[in-house]
Amino acid sequence: MVSNAGSPTLHMKAEMAVALTGITKRFGAFVANDGIDLAVRRGEIHAIIGENGAGKTTLMNILFGLLQPDEGSIRLNGEETVVTGPAVAIKAGLGMVHQHFKLVPSLSVADNVFLGMEIRRHGLIDHAAQIARTRELSKRFGLQVDPTERVGLLSVGIEQRIEILKVLVRGARTIILDEPTAVLTPQESRELFQTLRSFVAEGMTVIFISHHLEEVMEVSDTVTVLRNGKKVATRPTAELSKDELVRMMVGREVSFDRRPRAPSRGEVVLQVEELWARDDRRLPALRNVSFTVRSGEVVGIAGVAGNGQTELAEVLSGLRPASHGIARLKGRNLAALSPREIRRAGLAHVPGDRMVRGVDRNASIAANMLMGRQHRAPWSSCGVLNWTVISQNASRLIKDFDIRAQGPGDAVKRLSGGNIQKVVLAREFTNDADFLLIDQPTRGVDIGAQEAIHDEIMRQRAAGRAILLISVQLDELAALADRILVMFNGRIMGEVAGDGADEDRIGMMMAGVAAPELAAEPA
Amino acid sequence: MIRDRLRDVSGQIIAVAVALLLGAIIILLVGESPVRVLMTLLRGAFGDQEKIAGTLLQTTPILICGIAACIGLRGGMFNVGIEGQLFLGGFAAAWVGFAFPLPPGIHMLAALALAVAAGAAWVAIPAYFRARYNTNEVVSTILSNYVAVLLTSYFTIFLFKRPGGWSETPPILATAYLPEIFAFSRLNWGLAIGLVLALGAALIFRYTSWGYGVTMVGSAPKFAEYGGVNVKRQGFVVLLLSGAVGGLAGGVETLGVHHRFMEGFAPGFGFDGLIAALLANGSPVATIFTALFFGALRSGSLLLEVDTSASREIITVIQALIILSVSAQVLVRRRGDSQAGERRWKF
Repeated sequence: MVSNAGSPTLHMKAEMAVALTGITKRFGAFVANDGIDLAVRRGEIHAIIGENGAGKTTLMNILFGLLQPDEGSIRLNGEETVVTGPAVAIKAGLGMVHQHFKLVPSLSVADNVFLGMEIRRHGLIDHAAQIARTRELSKRFGLQVDPTERVGLLSVGIEQRIEILKVLVRGARTIILDEPTAVLTPQESRELFQTLRSFVAEGMTVIFISHHLEEVMEVSDTVTVLRNGKKVATRPTAELSKDELVRMMVGREVSFDRRPRAPSRGEVVLQVEELWARDDRRLPALRNVSFTVRSGEVVGIAGVAGNGQTELAEVLSGLRPASHGIARLKGRNLAALSPREIRRAGLAHVPGDRMVRGVDRNASIAANMLMGRQHRAPWSSCGVLNWTVISQNASRLIKDFDIRAQGPGDAVKRLSGGNIQKVVLAREFTNDADFLLIDQPTRGVDIGAQEAIHDEIMRQRAAGRAILLISVQLDELAALADRILVMFNGRIMGEVAGDGADEDRIGMMMAGVAAPELAAEPA
Repeated sequence: MIRDRLRDVSGQIIAVAVALLLGAIIILLVGESPVRVLMTLLRGAFGDQEKIAGTLLQTTPILICGIAACIGLRGGMFNVGIEGQLFLGGFAAAWVGFAFPLPPGIHMLAALALAVAAGAAWVAIPAYFRARYNTNEVVSTILSNYVAVLLTSYFTIFLFKRPGGWSETPPILATAYLPEIFAFSRLNWGLAIGLVLALGAALIFRYTSWGYGVTMVGSAPKFAEYGGVNVKRQGFVVLLLSGAVGGLAGGVETLGVHHRFMEGFAPGFGFDGLIAALLANGSPVATIFTALFFGALRSGSLLLEVDTSASREIITVIQALIILSVSAQVLVRRRGDSQAGERRWKF
């Protein structure tokens, strides 16, 4: 019934719309897909779920011919196929709706749908036929659009319907949707799910990529979970609970020692009250978030990636405006301060996307360690940099933080991921800031460096710093945090003590079940 | 680090070599010997002291425009409007020069100051739109060139035309002249201004807190923003400075060489400066050499039509080839970098 290790019979093969075997894809040293097997039965909605960076999109791009796998084979409708490009995939009946739409805003809906395969009459485009065909398809699958309207005037939700129509007129029988609900309102999402069900009713197959548990539970027949480029499992959705799904997505292996923590509650350093903020697509990303961080404590933020953690970090560091509510750092309203002033007021920030925000890869270690203090003595005086001091300081930090580099003049891009993170930590932890905002400190960092980074965070805690630790790794939070706040869909679902954190409770909250409901349930 | 630098430079050298090779093929195709053309170019550019001075005279505006471009590039801003800033600066300096009698020295400085102000004011429009509405400064500065060049034509032909003369303003007063260095050439102290600017810019970028911030905005804008640098304001300031130096280039050309403003007085110096800066990978010091290279091409080409059957336009062809190969090389490198998510210059 479910795909398993046994050799499939001929009959079963034909039932498979898509079968991937042993797909491996490397980007340099990074393994995006690691020996993934995937079998999608004809006529099912098959969800592929995993955190950001788990390898979902890479796998689908390989299936659709946008990337070539380093190893592994692909069977489409039972036939071994080398998918050299999207043209091959489309010919085999595959269609892909990407996360980013590729529409021409100045053309009408119907013209967009038929772009590149126009219906012709006497050598000219037959607009009437295109409009009629678009209307027919949109009616049949509940994809409400006006074929004559100009695309530039339409909302994202409708643009997505056009993308789906494009795939349909190209004869797709298996449709891949990459995070389709990320841009949709809840209402639009429900309509999309209706459409997906109507596809299946006509015998078509849907592959649906997501990192949102609820919609996967709602719409899919089968779920495949990916984590860190590997397949965790493929299971019928009906057999799964949300809690199990979370467990498979984020992993459970407790690889960290819990650090001994003496309770220490100093004064309030960070106070966040009823904070709201929007994401890049102008959709609400933070909803009514309130909490405090005291000096000498580590407050952890848990949650599946993409539930508002990034936006929270950006608001607290002044990189994103809050739409409502107040965040105060040592009593000062952050909304009134520029990023530079927030730093001066006492923020140190270890950003989640360290390669883009945390460093200039092309610059030297010394120049990277200068950021944020270039206007201060002893690094500069009267606006003139003292490179001797900068260089000596960098050398000392390289030694103190055990950064594997030849010297302060080394370009950061020459270093390994763990050592680049140490460059960021070394700079931020030596700023004498009272509040440390630490986002995914050990993502992509090897075990040895992880230990060192955790030790350093605990040293900072002992030195009386207030620390907000955002992590998607539960075990990391359990090892370091005094209290853990769980975020889901922009809200804080509840709080648990870090010491002896109840991981089942956290898991349920990460899946969107509120703390009071949990309390009501028998344990 | 040294190896990195060598590899960067090798890219530029390969780009120029490819361009020269293609140029040689084209020269062959028009039935002339590339060796003879090269020798004539060298003789025309460096044959005797007057020719060397002539080359340096051509180098000066290219160098100053190149520094203008470098300042922009450092801060991630592509000022393609230097040509227009040069024209307005040139006209502004001429206006002060012929319309306001002032004591010697002061007169020259006042004229240069207005040239600087004119260049900065002209780029302020695209710079404002860039900072406020995130419009692409490449497009807006390119377009501003046409307006600037035609505006100065209008001034010279309709408002300030010298009676009975060509399309030019009255001559400026001798009190506003940039003094010449040698008796045998029009080469003037503008060259020194260019060299001082180049070294000054290099020092500022390397040794000041402000220059560090600008460099980071140019190479990793999100990192700079995260570190507390005001990316928008820095971009605005950098464009303004770039335009100011572009205006200065025009003032120097007017006060040092032509001693009046003529319609179409300095064609292409702004663009040559931009290419020199790109070829120098945004380094002000390296721009001294690339500007000299383009200056030598220009002055060497004067002898080309006299001594060979090749047309002077062959130099324009070679320049175009250099632009193509340099930008191809820049694009290739950016593409390699963009895997990390950052592009340094926006094309």
